[in-house]
Amino acid sequence: MSIVLARVDNRLIHGQVLEAWIPNTKANCIVVANDEIAHAGMRKMLMAAAVPRGIQVIIETIEDSTRFVLSPDNSSLRVMVLFASPDDALHAYCLGLHFPQLNLGNLHRPQGVQQLGCTITLDNADISSLTELESKGVDINLQCVPSDRLRGWRSMIKKKIKPS
Amino acid sequence: MVGLVIATHCGLAGELVRTAEMILGPLPFVAAVEILRGDGPDEIRQRFQHAIDVVGQDGEGVLVMTDMFGGTPSNIGFSFLEQGLVDVLSGVNLPMLLRASQERSGRSLNELALLLRNYGQQSILLASEILTK
Repeated sequence: MSIVLARVDNRLIHGQVLEAWIPNTKANCIVVANDEIAHAGMRKMLMAAAVPRGIQVIIETIEDSTRFVLSPDNSSLRVMVLFASPDDALHAYCLGLHFPQLNLGNLHRPQGVQQLGCTITLDNADISSLTELESKGVDINLQCVPSDRLRGWRSMIKKKIKPS
Repeated sequence: MVGLVIATHCGLAGELVRTAEMILGPLPFVAAVEILRGDGPDEIRQRFQHAIDVVGQDGEGVLVMTDMFGGTPSNIGFSFLEQGLVDVLSGVNLPMLLRASQERSGRSLNELALLLRNYGQQSILLASEILTK
């Protein structure tokens, strides 16, 4: 398998992914690993319709998405995998989807305790999932769009959100 | 009258409305929703809901016009789709908004949406091509 980008983005497929990350990574397959949207017929259809022709789109549960990426039939694809949360990424990793790096793009938690850059807030569960992924050897970084500077997530954990 | 919500990335929506109003004067039942990088989905959804409620108050339906199919303004707009009441038209441009403002009265949501979809596409022209015809 060739994973050109594994990304946590709670907007999943949207402008930044379509217009910046696809050209940058030259991905020819986008996998949205999300249990909720895999079963949401209309949202799934509209999301798939946004992807340019010539790029394969898979919107399936975390389990089915992992199976797809690991299948030897798909080993020649350049795959971009999108997760809505660090927990989903950890789930996929534990099922065998071993991405070496995890990009944090967009994540907004109303109950967040840490703010990383302007597009990421993490709650305690997110921090624990990311810490676990890191202990498994995943390099976790922040980069909203390719033109942003790539930064390790640890260096960005500074700004604590004051409880309101 | 069908209400209009213009929803885009950054400040484009507000500026499109401001520009249309410069040409046509104040536009009733028109609202702008602008989406910034740091905005969370719940926050955006609330802003959409508010805009749809305000411009749709007379019950004739709301057309959400977004900048780009597949972008966040469209994606969140889709969650408000309701047959005959809310529809989403992507690729908004100034001619479409001007036309929408002039053609709204007496048209159903569906008629207006189809008219604007076609008009928006027809409003994109290449000067050199016109000259060589």
